[in-house]
Amino acid sequence: MTEMMFTPDIYDVIIVGSGAGGGMAAYNLTKAGAKCLMLEAGGWYDAARDSKWLEWVYDAPHRAWQSDAQPLGGFEAVVGGWEVAGEPYSNAPGSDWMWFRSRMLGGRTNAWGRISLRNGPYDFKPYSRDGKGFDWPISYEDLAPYYDKTEELIGVFGSAEGMENLPDGRFLPPPAPRCYELVVQKACKSLHIPCIPSRLAVLTRPLNGRPACHYVAQCDRGCRLGSNFSSPATLLFPARETGNLEIRSQAMVREVLTGRDGRATGVSYIDKKSGQEVQARGKVVVLAASSCETARLLLNSRSPNHPNGLANSSGTVGKYLMDTVMSDVNGFFPSLLDLPPHNEDGVGGMHLYMPWWNYRKQRELPFSRGYHIEMDGGRRGMPGLGVLNGSERLLGEGYGLELKKKSRRLYGSFIQFHGRGEMIPNRESYCEIDDKAVDRWGIPTLKFHFQWSEEEIQMARHMQETFLEIIQAAGGQAVGSSGPAKTGGISRGGQGIHEVGCARMGSNPETSVLNPHCQAWDCKNLFVADGAPFVSLADKNPTLTIMALAWRTSEYITAQVRLQNI
Amino acid sequence: MEERKTQNRRLCLQRRAILKMLAVAPVAGWMPMATLAAQVAKSMPEHSATPEYAATGDDGQGAADAYQPKVLNPHEWRTIQALSDRILPADEDSPSATEALVPEFLDDWLDYQRGELLTEVRYGLAWLDSECTRAFQRNFVDCASGEQTQILDRIAYSQRAAPEDARAVAFFNRLRDLVLGGYYTSELGIRDLPYLGNEPQNGWQGCPTPVLAKLGLA
Repeated sequence: MTEMMFTPDIYDVIIVGSGAGGGMAAYNLTKAGAKCLMLEAGGWYDAARDSKWLEWVYDAPHRAWQSDAQPLGGFEAVVGGWEVAGEPYSNAPGSDWMWFRSRMLGGRTNAWGRISLRNGPYDFKPYSRDGKGFDWPISYEDLAPYYDKTEELIGVFGSAEGMENLPDGRFLPPPAPRCYELVVQKACKSLHIPCIPSRLAVLTRPLNGRPACHYVAQCDRGCRLGSNFSSPATLLFPARETGNLEIRSQAMVREVLTGRDGRATGVSYIDKKSGQEVQARGKVVVLAASSCETARLLLNSRSPNHPNGLANSSGTVGKYLMDTVMSDVNGFFPSLLDLPPHNEDGVGGMHLYMPWWNYRKQRELPFSRGYHIEMDGGRRGMPGLGVLNGSERLLGEGYGLELKKKSRRLYGSFIQFHGRGEMIPNRESYCEIDDKAVDRWGIPTLKFHFQWSEEEIQMARHMQETFLEIIQAAGGQAVGSSGPAKTGGISRGGQGIHEVGCARMGSNPETSVLNPHCQAWDCKNLFVADGAPFVSLADKNPTLTIMALAWRTSEYITAQVRLQNI
Repeated sequence: MEERKTQNRRLCLQRRAILKMLAVAPVAGWMPMATLAAQVAKSMPEHSATPEYAATGDDGQGAADAYQPKVLNPHEWRTIQALSDRILPADEDSPSATEALVPEFLDDWLDYQRGELLTEVRYGLAWLDSECTRAFQRNFVDCASGEQTQILDRIAYSQRAAPEDARAVAFFNRLRDLVLGGYYTSELGIRDLPYLGNEPQNGWQGCPTPVLAKLGLA
């Protein structure tokens, strides 16, 4: 038995998790004067010091190839992955869910794609539009002011387009398109598919003391200069300057503690460095541990007042787990051969993308929701180990001088298309406590149930068909895909690392965990500020919405504390 | 020692990137170049700004002699060297696979992956020796170039390979991918590709006019 330790202070707010949601909560609450304690399950990370910026591939161990510890590659600002030592999870028979955990200060905001798309008006009311899934208890208008503020703080480039269900934001100017992106744009034009400047949290102009991007396509390595958004550089370190934020890393939260009145009194966590259990007391608890981890915490926080887990009187904690529908196709484009020398690095993501264009035709399609298309290719990014894998099919095989000549010529003539679409929440997709398993600290772990429905399979097939049309229109040929046409090459659940839901907000306490302010119906000083409150998962990448929601929730907390309602 | 050499080389390259960036013409509306350069320099590990590294001039030569294979035995090592150079020989533009330290990469990679890949490579190397011995009474490395060609041609073109050579064809496909990957991610080999990135830019210019013209997009 380890000795139980108590922290001496009572904090105004305890925030669990330091990613997009936790960071935004800390930024706003500390500025409002609240004394906050942030608990992060992983170690310290500061891109200004730890980024593998500008490192060449030949200097990295095993050419920076992916490993268990770095599943996205050796250069990525990632600590964690789909498998984390000592932190298992399980799948129910027939499920194949992959659970990504980040274990570092700032969570996934260090390595993410920076794609920052607003949910549109339809995305908050999907049930009202097609009778499937559920409506959010809030509308686009409720969140719009917080999208504005978030974009102005973190810096997002983009262009005003005035398109259906794609609200424009407070944008910095977008970077000019790369050569291969212009080739795709031309093909899309002939197919009447919009191909517009992407919207990424990367600075194309200096902002709030942060310098503009230097265009080496390495956002995923973490930016030493802070020119892209990450929670530590943009939110946590400024929040600490208020003197109101204490951050404890290596703090794995076991449960939320509650008093006799059912209210949260703090949290209990394991200090990983000493192995000791520590209790921290707070007047308000904000969970931003990532959707499934937040659900796990709630389910593991059982007490006489909350016998099924905290905030779970509705039985919906862990329910309606969602992830982005993904499918990919790689194309070879002869027009990209033998081009004059040029640098295509740019920002660490696409400069152009294709938003969903079929709202008007949706009823004619065999699926109900939208997807957008991301792309990469050309000469963008440092060549990696798989740079010409499988090229023998295009090169005519062989070896020797001829192979070498053809190889160097072939480099840069591929474009990959990535479909990213909306999943409709279903009853078969959820997580629960596995009553037979615990992690290395003895904390019960999660068991996952996950199923795509026919909707998602049909969407993935449509993605692949569209990619083939674009490739053909651009004079290319498809040379590989994420899987066979029958399933549309659909991804595994969780592979998108966009898992949301599991503690959804709603207007009815019998069918939701949180009220429209992301406050637990059953415990009024408990809030959730990550992706768990999501009622649906639009094709729009979730991070910007997580931050806008967290900002709104933080303002609500501040107002309620001032009114002495909490 | 090896680690220090690599480190020095890297810092030299980073330093070169900064110096090169200083030469970029200014763009209206962007931060002054000196400011960006100073920020970039400041973000580097502290010692990278000191002049010793520029003077070291350590290009990593000598590492090839010092390398001790981790999984390949001396004969396999010689065979991998010969085979890598048959796949990617030197030409007027760039060095051979061996000069680009591809065999070192392959041995390290096989050590890292082990398992099925190592089995496949061991099978392939042995197959080459046994077929060369059958035809010419010599191991692959000791064969004349024309003799090696005769055997390699059996497995380097899967479309016309004999069914009984399928396993050796699979080996060759796999090895060719690895040699290509190892070569084009090596310090010398990467320069053979038209990749001009990993150089901090002061502003982003988009697609240059000559490229637009060639693509018919001007």
